[in-house]
Amino acid sequence: MSNFTEEMIDDYANKLLIGLTLEERKMIQQEFDDIEHSMELINKIDGIKDVEPQSYPFEMEVTDLRSDDDVDEEIPIDVLLRNAGSVDGREVEVPKVVG
Amino acid sequence: MLEKGIKELHDELKSKKITSNELVKESIKACHDIQEKTNSFVTIIDDATGTEVTDDLLSGIPYGIKDIFSTKDILSTGSSNTLNNYVPFFDATCVANLKKHGAVGVAKTVLDELGMGGTGTTGHTGIVHNPWDLERQTAGSSAGSAASVACGVYPYALGSDTGDSVRKPAGYCGIVGYKPTYGMVSRYGMFQFASSLDTVGVLSRSVEDAAIVVDGMKGLDKHDMTTWDSSNIHLYESLNKDVKGKKLFYIKEICDIENYKNPSEELKEHLNNFKDTIKKCESVGISVEGVSIDRNLLNALYPTYMVIYGAEASSNMANLTGISFGPRGEGSTPDEMIKDHRTKGFSPLIKRRFVIGSFVLQRENQEKFFLNAKRVRRLIVDKMNSLFEKYDGMICPVGTGPAKYLDDSKNEHNKENTVLEEILQIGNFGGYPSITIPNGFINNLPVGVNITGKVKDDVNVLNMAYALEEEMGFKNQIAKEVK
Amino acid sequence: MAYKAVIGLEFHCEMKSHTKVFSGAINGFSKKPNQLVSPLDMGFPGTLPVLNKECVKKAIEMAMILNCKIPEYMEFDRKNYFYPDLPKGYQLTQFFNPVGTNGKVIIEVNGEEKEVLIHDIHLEEDSASLDHLYDTSNIDYNRSGVPLLELVTEPCLNSADEAIEFLEHIKRIYEYTDISECDTKKGQIRADVNVSIMDEDSKELGTKVEVKNVNSFDSIRKTINYEIERQTKLKESGHYDEVVQETRRWDDESGTTIHMRSKADAIDYKYFTEPNIPRYKITSELLDDIRKNIPMLAHERKEKYINEYNLSLYDAKVLVKNKDVSDYFEECVSLGSDPKSACNWITTRVLAEVNKKDDTSIKDIFITPSMLAELIKLIEDKKITNNQGKEVFSKMLEEEITPLEIVKKYGMEVIEDSNLINSLIDEVLNENTKAIEDYKNGRTNMLDYLVGQVMRKSRGKANPVEAKEKLLEKLK
Repeated sequence: MSNFTEEMIDDYANKLLIGLTLEERKMIQQEFDDIEHSMELINKIDGIKDVEPQSYPFEMEVTDLRSDDDVDEEIPIDVLLRNAGSVDGREVEVPKVVG
Repeated sequence: MLEKGIKELHDELKSKKITSNELVKESIKACHDIQEKTNSFVTIIDDATGTEVTDDLLSGIPYGIKDIFSTKDILSTGSSNTLNNYVPFFDATCVANLKKHGAVGVAKTVLDELGMGGTGTTGHTGIVHNPWDLERQTAGSSAGSAASVACGVYPYALGSDTGDSVRKPAGYCGIVGYKPTYGMVSRYGMFQFASSLDTVGVLSRSVEDAAIVVDGMKGLDKHDMTTWDSSNIHLYESLNKDVKGKKLFYIKEICDIENYKNPSEELKEHLNNFKDTIKKCESVGISVEGVSIDRNLLNALYPTYMVIYGAEASSNMANLTGISFGPRGEGSTPDEMIKDHRTKGFSPLIKRRFVIGSFVLQRENQEKFFLNAKRVRRLIVDKMNSLFEKYDGMICPVGTGPAKYLDDSKNEHNKENTVLEEILQIGNFGGYPSITIPNGFINNLPVGVNITGKVKDDVNVLNMAYALEEEMGFKNQIAKEVK
Repeated sequence: MAYKAVIGLEFHCEMKSHTKVFSGAINGFSKKPNQLVSPLDMGFPGTLPVLNKECVKKAIEMAMILNCKIPEYMEFDRKNYFYPDLPKGYQLTQFFNPVGTNGKVIIEVNGEEKEVLIHDIHLEEDSASLDHLYDTSNIDYNRSGVPLLELVTEPCLNSADEAIEFLEHIKRIYEYTDISECDTKKGQIRADVNVSIMDEDSKELGTKVEVKNVNSFDSIRKTINYEIERQTKLKESGHYDEVVQETRRWDDESGTTIHMRSKADAIDYKYFTEPNIPRYKITSELLDDIRKNIPMLAHERKEKYINEYNLSLYDAKVLVKNKDVSDYFEECVSLGSDPKSACNWITTRVLAEVNKKDDTSIKDIFITPSMLAELIKLIEDKKITNNQGKEVFSKMLEEEITPLEIVKKYGMEVIEDSNLINSLIDEVLNENTKAIEDYKNGRTNMLDYLVGQVMRKSRGKANPVEAKEKLLEKLK
């Protein structure tokens, strides 16, 4: 019996605004059991809790940052919005946002 | 003509045996010729024209661009239906840099959707076929780039590498795949997949060409904070085959056949061939030793990779909503519209990976899954770095044999092989320079070997590959069947 | 039964800078939608954040002023959620390692000092703005990526007065340091307000209610008072269980707060470190550099005005309440004006003029600090009298010309020729023998009458002080 219910999986997908077919849901359920199993392999490693998580491939401190005076050129509005599915004047249009 | 390397083509152009325009036209035609059989391209840029031939080795020469790179005024899809109509208004930095050198992009190549996946089968325009055997995979995600370079339609193509997406397809297609140190080439304009692992790379038919191309792309970029100054590194000029006294290691647990309980014939041949390659290393002056790495750590490699990339990808691709770019979804609220766009746009594989990413980032799961994966990442990288204090790099076979069948039921599935299949991901965990070169044939299909070295030690890594390439003699090989 | 209110604030403020915090688009106000936009601000594929140094420095400066602990490295995290105003699908913020933690500031509320504890302050980016139409909404990305500072207090405030005084204090710091204009009309500030009530003598905290996105000081005051009243009523009527942990919003029209979502619906933002921004080391050199350049803040200027310029506490407070006024005053002083005179002119006539109209700042009126300094000098040098000075002031505003020009135009120069004054005095004395007699009989106020006569004869050009002195001399 899987630790992961269909409801849980649908909820995770829904939070990413993705719908799943029955088949997709089933596959994910199987994978999740696998993942949980493999992640147990991680917890077998000695002293894992004392390791600092690594967010970057290597230490790469930056020593200087972007100057506030580096201004990008203005992008012509027709270029900027040419890929938008729906445009109203100079703005991108979407169905009414409520709340 | 196009089967030649960059330097030879440059000489032809310089001596006016051919013009850049003619070369570009020939390349475009060659792309069309292989498209039906390999399905390498999302877009062939038919109106591409030649450029002025200068002393720059790259000038006037055509090349391919993985469709994960933003190209100004040219469709850039990431092989995803979420971007199937997206025409960017800016070039990726690496593409812009090559343009400055006079290089001519002639095609946008197919990838596994958004770079995720290693089979070349999930792009929105269909499966990419291996030119050495059309029933086989190219591997991925830089599938179209690998297939087209192997066919000899141009000397090189751009790839991107998050797990092994340049280096594995290079192995399956019998060519060179080079992933430079993280941050050497700007990622600006490369659609993000897993930002802490993503690297711009190149597929070519020789180490020399790979060096020339990365020389032309690399450098600090004000649009990418993770780039670093490599102006003192000259890859092409540094190639000298002087590798005497260099030391490589291989991981015994995955490279010694005795460590497999039920190895297939293919795996046996592959590891035997690898042993031969090690001998060739020794004959050019590189010593090779086997080292042992904790099994638990090796077994944790793939889950660690999957957790980190799933998490980063689920966030990176949250910009794919169909609002300002990509096809609009249907719906009476923005959420419905976005959900429709994403449900229809993403292939099942991506959705599954996203859900994993979403799961491991949940507040209640972060510690156990996401943070522990990042801890294992450190342990693996620390282990590699300590080995790199003694050795100039790691050598390992690419994959567990030659290209797999597209029909997955014909493939052997053996969990024992997982670590060897996934080992190249180490290169992304630590941002290491890593290069695959062809090292022989199994059942008339090419196989590859990989060398991975220290951060920012690209010159050394390329030089070892360069010396070995010459010793092995598979340089500039072309998959002729397709033509 | 008395209850104690416990209030915590999250105060968001848009920062001033040339460009946005992670892109090179201009950080400014444009009437043209989507004019100040770089590819990153719309989340185009392949774009990456590039951190603005000025924003980092200003954030550190603010953390220092709030006496916060400053971390070794500047780092950013992604706050992941979907909303049409969030083009990347996440907001870049500082969740795990904010630029300042554990700070405190002392404020003055109704004459008493109050310590306010700062949980943290962090640098983040603003979202795009939405224009809501009949059945559609339009997205303008000009605001997307504008730098924001979010300041989070501990729940340590106990009244709307304290909360507003604290926010005024913070606003003054932002203005004095030029970190933000804190302009509510441009939507530059927003606050989330947490309110709970508890028994006066209890140690047990009550149920916390969060009110989101309150965007003016006035609404913040009303929100707090409304929530205290609402919760108190429920408690008194034995329905305290109806006060639940929830998120509400302030509705200006009805003057009430309205339920938005309950705690169970709280979004999991799935925070994680942004891998595209390498860590930036906050070196001791950088800290020294920032510390050196912190300008004198309102309370420091106040002390200086009292101790060095001998101004009253009241006047000093009036001057520093607004940075532009304080700057105006300091410029007058630096141009040589006597601080007391400058203060008098500014706190009375100048501010009266500023306050005549809404939306007028001291920078908008015609009289500049150099003009006021010129006027003060004319009086100090006894070129004109005090009364004439007042007239010059009014005429400057009416005619929009400088004090010297007015003095010339109306021939207002004081007569400095003492022979002329002497002869005028003699004339007056000859014509007013009755008045002189009265004066000598003890009607001392006749002296002022005589001075007035001298002034009249001089058409106001004589110096009244001088005239008085000379008259006294002659009447001996």
